[in-house]
Amino acid sequence: MDQVQTSAPAAANLTRPAASAASAETILQVSNLNKRFGGLQAIDNVSLDVAKGAIHAIIGPNGAGKSTFLNCLIGLIEPDTGEVLFEGRSIKGLKPHRIIQRGIARVFQTPQIFPGMSLNENVTIAALSRRDGEFRFNPVVPLGASNTASQEAGAILERVGLIDQRHVEAEHLSRGDKRRLELAICIAAHAKLLLLDEPTAGMSRHDTNRTIELLRTISETGMTKVIIEHDMHVVFSLARRVTVLAQGAVIADGRPEDVRGDPRVKEAYLGGAH
Amino acid sequence: MSTRTVSAPVRPAAATGAGMRAMGREASILLIFSAIVLSMPFWLPLLGGYEGLATKIMVWAIFAVGFDILLGFTGLLSFGHAAFFGGAAYVTGYVFRDHTSEIIVAFIASQVGVMVLAAAIGFLSLRRTGIYFSILTLAFAEMMFAAALAIFAPFTGGYDGLTMRTTPTLLGMPMQGLYVFYMGAFMLIFGFAVARMIKNSAFGLMLRSIKENPMRLQYTGVNVWAYKMAAFMISAHFAGVAGFLMVVYEPYVATKFLHWSTSGEVVIMSVIGGVGTLFGPIIGAGFLMYFENVIQAAIGDQWKLVLGIVFVLVVIFLPGGFVQLGQMVWKATGHRVRARRHNVPDMEPDAARDRNLG
Repeated sequence: MDQVQTSAPAAANLTRPAASAASAETILQVSNLNKRFGGLQAIDNVSLDVAKGAIHAIIGPNGAGKSTFLNCLIGLIEPDTGEVLFEGRSIKGLKPHRIIQRGIARVFQTPQIFPGMSLNENVTIAALSRRDGEFRFNPVVPLGASNTASQEAGAILERVGLIDQRHVEAEHLSRGDKRRLELAICIAAHAKLLLLDEPTAGMSRHDTNRTIELLRTISETGMTKVIIEHDMHVVFSLARRVTVLAQGAVIADGRPEDVRGDPRVKEAYLGGAH
Repeated sequence: MSTRTVSAPVRPAAATGAGMRAMGREASILLIFSAIVLSMPFWLPLLGGYEGLATKIMVWAIFAVGFDILLGFTGLLSFGHAAFFGGAAYVTGYVFRDHTSEIIVAFIASQVGVMVLAAAIGFLSLRRTGIYFSILTLAFAEMMFAAALAIFAPFTGGYDGLTMRTTPTLLGMPMQGLYVFYMGAFMLIFGFAVARMIKNSAFGLMLRSIKENPMRLQYTGVNVWAYKMAAFMISAHFAGVAGFLMVVYEPYVATKFLHWSTSGEVVIMSVIGGVGTLFGPIIGAGFLMYFENVIQAAIGDQWKLVLGIVFVLVVIFLPGGFVQLGQMVWKATGHRVRARRHNVPDMEPDAARDRNLG
């Protein structure tokens, strides 16, 4: 199978053996990841570096292993072999909530929120998880309006433009607004790395553009993003770096305009799609 | 560390005002609740009840309030809480029969027993979710029931139950009649206050979010299992206190206390009264006890049929139980109904009021 060794800027490639040196600018380092389901090699020796602060897109045709790859990063699926380093420390084999506590957040294809709770409560939960860690037995102190978590929730809802609806129950939001709320939850968890699985799937053009705008705004805070995406419009308007997966393996990696011109990518994906 | 510090729009004066109002509201709720409960021996006989029935209502209300923390807040349906009710009852009875009539000793022994039991059953049952969790809890409770009748029969008295000729005492003072009622009433008021406190806390918010979306909660960095386990343990202790109180009220342990029908009864109370509202299950407990004792005496053998009809009608037309009925009446008379979910207290009273309790 065709292999392209991938890494961030070419310079980083040279310093790669010194993992600690690389981790200064690399927030996520995946090396030689493999996952097999029965006879299917879902992830085929994938190596990938994500630079801190970058918006890094992972694209590829259906069944290329994009979602499996994301699930390996987040602890939902345990890879067979390989290593995942986040900020220089291994997160492979950890339970999902432990990985999240390290500073990773995940946005799902279908927005995952707390439907029957107000927007304020939705975001407060994430702020509390940041403040209290994975578990804290604190049943005595009432969650007053003066509570720091609840105030932080208000500030974040303001930022994503949902403050006027903070008392509305989340299930009443539009698809696009549910996505905004999910992003607000990730912001409240103070994620350093955000993993997005087709964040604009099933959205109208209008909502898609609003979501792109919001993701750009969040980027200004220095939050790193890895986006799995089908929609080329989204990829090319956001990402500075694109990795192409096909049949579980990396076939191209680089700047969007370079990847677009790559003949192998055209053959595997873009050519077929257009 | 994060480079972003979110500056919150703080309005300290307003926030403190809201905090004071919330506290005042909590205090008045507790006061009214206490008044109704403590005066029960005076008003219940007017409805055809009797003193002992009031004590029984205390027992089941404590059970039901604790059950609501698990079912109503966290969304976990246990079909095996008889294990904790009956387990505590057996430990209490055992202490009374063979050791001492002092209820403080029996109380501590029964709660230690429940803690061990709940840790074991919770640990094993919470490995699964949904219906599988319910079935596991049912299986463990039924195993205890079978064991009590067979291998543990020398300790439990088998089918005869645990009989004793003890009058329980509190520091040497015999506990009978109204004394037991008032002890139970204070336990219920305390338990209700604890449940309200949990509901309004950060811990309670986590429990309620498990019911809403456990996956999102885990992917927000929360150890969902640990919170479930905590809720399970707390509700088991409420069931244990109820089981203890039952034996103090009537120094006899029936095998029925471990039977699945006891688990089922607390589920029926919760559903009839209104799951997740704390008031609802208490009202449900009162209703069911009243029905089983007073109405049964009036209408005879058909009482179970009538109860079945009531249950079906409630589930179909009032999925929010009696509490929903109360809210409908309140609304129909031109009042505002407060939103059900108010953990984050600056929620507008009218937000989402059209949602029913289902």
